[in-house]
Amino acid sequence: MKNIINLLVVLFVSQLIIAQDYKFGKVSKEELQEKFNSLDSSASATYLYKYRKTFYEYQEQKGFQLITEIHERIKIYNQEGFDYATKAINLHKSGSYHETVTGLKAYTYNLAEGKIEDTKLKKDGIFKTEKSKYRNETKFTMPNIKEGSVLEYEYKIISPFYQNVDEFHFQYAIPVKKLEAQFQAPEYYNFKVNVKGYLRITPKVENKRDKIVFRNKSRSGGTGFGNPTSKTTFSSSTLEFNKEVSTYNLENIPALKEEPYVNNINNYRSSVKYELSYKKLPQSTIEYYSTTWEDVVKTIYKSSSFGAELNKSGYYEDDIDNLISSTSDPKKRIALIFDFVKSKVKWNEYYGYHTDDGVRKAYKEQVGNVAEINLMLTSMLRYAGLKANPVLVSTRQNGIPIFPTREGYNYVISCVELPTGNVLLDATNKYGSPNILPYRTLNWEGRIIKKGGASSQINLYPNENSKNSILMMIDLSEEGDIEGNYRSVKTNHSALSYRNRYNNSDKDDFLEKLENKYGGLEVSDFKVTNTTNLSKPIMESYKFAKESQADIIGDKIYFSPLFFLCTKENPFKLEKREFPVDFGYPSSSTYRITINLPDGYKVESLPEASALVLPENLGSFKYILSQNQSTIQLLIDTKMNTSIVSPLYYETLKSYFKQFIEKENEQIVLTKI
Amino acid sequence: MILKPIASILMLFVTLTIFSQDNLYSSLTIPEDLKENANAVVRLNEIVVSLKSSSEMSVKEKRIITVLNKQGNRAIDAYVHYDENVKIKALDVLAYDALGNEIKKIKKNDFKDVSAVDGGTLYSDSRVKYLEYTAINYPYTIEFTYETITSNTAFIPSFMPIDDYFVSAEISSYTINYPENITIRKKEKNIEGLDVEQEITAGKFFYKAKNLSAYKPEEYSPSLDAFAPKILFASKQFTLEGVHTVVENWDDFAKWMYHDLIKVTHDLPEGTIADIQNLVKDESNDINKAKKIYQYVQDKVRYISVQVGIGGWKPFNASEVDKLGYGDCKALTNYTMALLKSVNVESNYSVVYAGSTQRSIEQDFTSIQGNHVILSIPNNEEIVWLECTSQKLPFGFIGDFTDDRDVLVITPDGGEIKHTKKYTTEENTQIIKGNYIVSNEGSIDVEVKIESKGIQYDDKYWLESETERDLDEGYKKRWRYINNVVINRMSIENDKDSIVFNETINFKASNYPKVVANRMLLTVNALNRNTHIPDRYRNRKLPLKIKRGFKDIDEVVIALPKDYKIESLPNKKVIENKFGNYVAEVIAKDENTLLYKREFIVNDGEFPKEDYADFRKFYKEVSKQDNAKVALIKKE
Repeated sequence: MKNIINLLVVLFVSQLIIAQDYKFGKVSKEELQEKFNSLDSSASATYLYKYRKTFYEYQEQKGFQLITEIHERIKIYNQEGFDYATKAINLHKSGSYHETVTGLKAYTYNLAEGKIEDTKLKKDGIFKTEKSKYRNETKFTMPNIKEGSVLEYEYKIISPFYQNVDEFHFQYAIPVKKLEAQFQAPEYYNFKVNVKGYLRITPKVENKRDKIVFRNKSRSGGTGFGNPTSKTTFSSSTLEFNKEVSTYNLENIPALKEEPYVNNINNYRSSVKYELSYKKLPQSTIEYYSTTWEDVVKTIYKSSSFGAELNKSGYYEDDIDNLISSTSDPKKRIALIFDFVKSKVKWNEYYGYHTDDGVRKAYKEQVGNVAEINLMLTSMLRYAGLKANPVLVSTRQNGIPIFPTREGYNYVISCVELPTGNVLLDATNKYGSPNILPYRTLNWEGRIIKKGGASSQINLYPNENSKNSILMMIDLSEEGDIEGNYRSVKTNHSALSYRNRYNNSDKDDFLEKLENKYGGLEVSDFKVTNTTNLSKPIMESYKFAKESQADIIGDKIYFSPLFFLCTKENPFKLEKREFPVDFGYPSSSTYRITINLPDGYKVESLPEASALVLPENLGSFKYILSQNQSTIQLLIDTKMNTSIVSPLYYETLKSYFKQFIEKENEQIVLTKI
Repeated sequence: MILKPIASILMLFVTLTIFSQDNLYSSLTIPEDLKENANAVVRLNEIVVSLKSSSEMSVKEKRIITVLNKQGNRAIDAYVHYDENVKIKALDVLAYDALGNEIKKIKKNDFKDVSAVDGGTLYSDSRVKYLEYTAINYPYTIEFTYETITSNTAFIPSFMPIDDYFVSAEISSYTINYPENITIRKKEKNIEGLDVEQEITAGKFFYKAKNLSAYKPEEYSPSLDAFAPKILFASKQFTLEGVHTVVENWDDFAKWMYHDLIKVTHDLPEGTIADIQNLVKDESNDINKAKKIYQYVQDKVRYISVQVGIGGWKPFNASEVDKLGYGDCKALTNYTMALLKSVNVESNYSVVYAGSTQRSIEQDFTSIQGNHVILSIPNNEEIVWLECTSQKLPFGFIGDFTDDRDVLVITPDGGEIKHTKKYTTEENTQIIKGNYIVSNEGSIDVEVKIESKGIQYDDKYWLESETERDLDEGYKKRWRYINNVVINRMSIENDKDSIVFNETINFKASNYPKVVANRMLLTVNALNRNTHIPDRYRNRKLPLKIKRGFKDIDEVVIALPKDYKIESLPNKKVIENKFGNYVAEVIAKDENTLLYKREFIVNDGEFPKEDYADFRKFYKEVSKQDNAKVALIKKE
């Protein structure tokens, strides 16, 4: 009993505080007077209060509607924060179903001669736009915004899409002083709760009772010709049910700030996602959605635009029969089919693991989305007797699929199991090759779906380093000018990105860009081989000349042996870092450089050999110089053996870059004989 | 198996006969010189504009484009805008393969239909239908046909056979038909020396251009708009969003704009007028009054673009801006103007092409032009220009957004073409005063003051609103050639009264000079090293244009490490040419102190393309000199 009283008192007190501070319209003078956020003085604006409540409401004819109530109070400190005075509400639509906004109410508050002055948002500041077939937008911009203004708005979104509960975000580009969020799920809907991000978030969960009142209308009589009188009776019945109420209460949430070399900042944004796992309405059978990755995969697999599309084969059988009749070697068959799909069907730049127009149409029209192309590929590989399966992928842009949701993935590729190992294939990119996936898909792990729908995780990052080997012969003149030959060999992702650039651009333009990248290097005899022969590495070679690459002081010549290839700038400039550094794929470069000295000069001093190693074999740098009578030879070998480096190693990584840049810039001294 | 070759022979015949008809759908018939620098070739473009009356115009266009590579896809440009007053009557696309065989038909309903709002606009009632087409192979050809009907006749499409870089045109024609009671004016630009035929008869203009090569963008060149061929058209009698008018010259035009669109919006609440009168009551001259009012506007409003109906052309009422506290360029300019008027300060609404390219209003061609509005205040011989959409720019400072170009100034009595403020080389200064100490270990400790004016002020004033983290990173990027910079102090001061931006920075960097055995090689110019070398072109096509000049003056005192003495100093270097001049000098003040003096001036101007190589050489030489090193040697 005492406990209950305590609880009541606490509840009462906390409600009192809320009532004082955060009731709509109760903006205080203190809030208006505040000049900056005392916890983060760089903030241009702050959410003083951010409230969201999402729940279900039963509406006759329509059934359960998903309702979201929003109430936000924002402090604007300076002009950079003015963007927060404009709000865009995204509204989904599909066929005749669409989301609507109601009850929009908004005010701007300013302090005028010590008094609080409010300005109401009127219709002329609200704009409704049909953005596309699938999306409406309601946008509004607040009147009378100045530095120091506080603005506040509330509205409600009514959605017929009961299964899609938008993610609850708890962290934004600006700080939040107080955040309250609530989600209510009726017993008929069961949700899986998925939490991500760096904040510690635990909701308070309670069970509450709720009810639906049905009003029934029944007619009697009036059936037959002889009985014209009919009677309508009204009655009502009540259905009681349980609901689970989860409430989040957070204070002083720091802003989420962008950093360079972050894969996708949303991976680190604190948020909670409610994913419908099953639906069990009274008098109907249970309908499962997803609780585990297995369920997610099953749901995807069973959908007609995935599994069924995978099983269609009639449309290509003749072509594939012809194509592979000459070989029974699995690797050759993979290569043939992969190339066939790449040249036959072009990607329309749409993502998705669901087909859009279907594989058959995509094949006929030679254009398709990701699913059409890669499901078709998988199907053909299976038809050719290979153990091929689709792999669900989340692109870098979509973020890392941390918890099982259908939206967690947005892409599909193909995997063939061979005794020698897995071969990953994506036929949307003309220059992709087996196990060299486009950069957009290099994102942690994918999920392979076996026949029947069983699934497991599969690593998407390449195991092998992408290599760039550079060979140079350089003649250094007495005046400090250089000329020589350059040759490079690029493999894997280095080759892929080169092919994407080279093959899609005007050749003269490419050459000019190359020259200008090195500050006006003069290039001749430029040659690239294997631009389309993907089984071989890219080979680039040219002759070059560049002036003033050495300092001549007195009778000495000073230069760094990498000349124009020297790394000049440390990419890591931030003093500290919160999130992992993402390089995309592991890589290594080697430089073998031979420098012919000008006549009449000899080496006075050479930088010492050096070797740097990052912990856990993450990366390494090796630098060795040697000389004989008239030449100097340099060997540099750098490796970044991982795609991702934890922020724990940021300091180490930054100083590793610093050291090897310094080493590369060290000077050789020549002196006149 | 035997059948197949026969089929392909037949195919060959068929295609051959198509070739002989000079087929524009096949990529094989493109003249060689049109492929140079081209990602796409406009094979045929036929525009037919028909003015039925001063309030009805139809535009029909048929365009056949061969796309040569991925970059050329954008040249298809299958976008058609529509709104309340512009209806799309027809819209069709046919796609052809490299040989000219039809491969796909696309109908109006297959077009995407979206709101035509760009990033900077909050709302617009304009919509756009556009085509999304995935190329199966390159090259391919698209035939795009559409027809629109509109009651707005204020904008008659221009004839622009080349409207983008990397696109050439084989045949491009333009016809405009108009009734007797309408007068059409035209202006031809840059068509001398081109293959253009024309036919002018009663009620009709016809132009046809052939074989126009593609342009490639080049650094330091005039903008495409300045050299591409173009013929502009305007009707003396026109209708805009239901408003009809007759305009023959700039005076007519300005009167129409002033009386129909601007004057009627100058309503201000009494309260605001009283506030403004009170605000400037102690100011005796107009410029000081204007200064206060400009500040008042900057504190009160923000820029939000909303384009609805006639509102796309007519400013919001001043009372609306007063109430809402926001508006687009028209509304904010007009609001400022109304406030000035309330205290009897004259100012004029001025139409301009905004952007750093310095595009001018075509002064001898009266028509609706421009894409932005600023305010001008006559001040004896001078004019004070105000950018009313910015809350940060100092009074009278317009920066590179609207500087140095012809604009249309609208007064109650007519219109005049005026030239906006040009920021001269002498005004665009950056003065560096600094010193740094080099330690025996090779670290440097730098203290520097940077004072920027003119366009160099424009380049930096926004730093004022950067967060500390971004500013820190920004300075590390500015001195990117120094590894390991650690910034201790930064302070910036934006002096809006005298329009000067002051920065004071203190930073340290380890391992700055190169230490080799007992020597230290010190690149003296640590604070303002030119790292920019203009791009090299194997075959420069466009003239050299330097839009804005600048002048940098540096004076830096260097304290040398105690254990070292000077072994050698770079010689004084002086470069002088028509592009500017450069002087750099290292003076040994005493055995431990150096004074580095540098002056680098680049003048604005236009030069023939042949001069480009020398201009580039100038920058190259400056870069080289900026890397000049002092050699220090360890004392015994």
